[in-house]
Amino acid sequence: MSCTIRIASPLRSYTAGAASVAGSGATLSAVLAHLEAHYPGIRFRMIDEQERIRPHMRLFVNASEACELTAAVRDGDTVHVICALSGG
Amino acid sequence: MTLSATERARYHRHIALAEIGAAGQEKLKAARVLIIGAGGLGSPAALYLAAAGCGTLGLLDFDRVDLSNLQRQVLFDSAGVARPKAEAGGERLAALNPEIRINAHTLELKAANVRAALADYDIVIDGTDRLATRYLLNDACVLYGKALVSAAIHRFEGQLMTYVPHQGPCYRCLFPQGRDGIVATCAEAGVLGVLPGVLGTLQATEAIKLITGVGEPLIGRLLTYDALDMRFQEFRVSRRRDCAVCGDAPSITEPRDQDPAPAGDPSGGVRRLSAGDLQELLQTRAPLLVDVREPYEFAAGHLAGARHIPLGELPRRLAEIPKDAAPVFICRSGGRSLAACAMALAAGIASPANLEGGLQAWAREVDPTLAVA
Repeated sequence: MSCTIRIASPLRSYTAGAASVAGSGATLSAVLAHLEAHYPGIRFRMIDEQERIRPHMRLFVNASEACELTAAVRDGDTVHVICALSGG
Repeated sequence: MTLSATERARYHRHIALAEIGAAGQEKLKAARVLIIGAGGLGSPAALYLAAAGCGTLGLLDFDRVDLSNLQRQVLFDSAGVARPKAEAGGERLAALNPEIRINAHTLELKAANVRAALADYDIVIDGTDRLATRYLLNDACVLYGKALVSAAIHRFEGQLMTYVPHQGPCYRCLFPQGRDGIVATCAEAGVLGVLPGVLGTLQATEAIKLITGVGEPLIGRLLTYDALDMRFQEFRVSRRRDCAVCGDAPSITEPRDQDPAPAGDPSGGVRRLSAGDLQELLQTRAPLLVDVREPYEFAAGHLAGARHIPLGELPRRLAEIPKDAAPVFICRSGGRSLAACAMALAAGIASPANLEGGLQAWAREVDPTLAVA
């Protein structure tokens, strides 16, 4: 399954500034593993040591919230990585 | 609250809108809105709400106008540099619209004063630049029943959501927990000047909709804006039943200040060095200095011998730091370096140290010739 991943602004230092990158995987877990393989270190910023989505991060598949890493990702989907921002 | 002839003339274009009319304008006149943070977001929000005839407008900020604010904080001008923001901003708003009441609050929002600060207002605009204040404000608004219109910005990206107690999720439902330092501030990462103009104006729009009862407020919908791609997107967010403040069994029952190093937080084991402490250390030893700022900041000026590993690259480059090196992490103001210390601790690097106050403190207390971008 190929998908698009939209990267939160604070994590774009991992993707050489790219806002969108190509992804692959049938679940969110697989998509993040693929992302990590291409951009080492980025998964750690989203997922903690207990395999939970960090509390200042939210992941969406298209417009639907994905609370678990087992969430399905279909061909053509967009995974959105959203991060709490503090700037005012 | 009836409108005077002058007010009818001033607000004619609103009154001409069937959705608002004189009745809506009277609601605006009766409205009491508090803007927390007279910064990039607070500036356009305050100007538009004042111009719109919001009857009572509070402007709360503890800071003073800095020259670097003027690139985006359109509430101020060059003559206002060094003046208290609430005071200078209040004068600008009063000049824009003498028909409304402006309350200037030069105050740092804390758990101890948040109840009193919010008491005389119905709607709160969050334009702060710290996560700790965002959580404090969210909790207070849930507990005291205030509507909260919240926005945040970073570089070219912004987020917006409206929270009305018992009508949808709150900020903690969206992001249950966060800590300053996990994301670079605007001072550290930079921000497109016009970006808060877009988001702050949307905050004012949401406030006017809540006051007049027109349209559909952004409750339970997170709006994101990417200025580079010129892309707005919307995401559905639900109330969390396990939310610490608005959930079924809340653990937060009164506003509280965020603990700087709570139990269980890996940053609790970090050595904290003042600029003077580091100066002494450098005279007797040669500790590994790791500068975690962005490349442009490092290029502007850095401590001699410092190794440069931007925070974004640190997770994959931690192996470059020996486990027993006791590194000293450095950034501009001490936030990113504290996050770096936590990462180092989690990776098994013993005794990392944080330069408290960052290179700003170093330039202030030790070496004024150091250029800090």
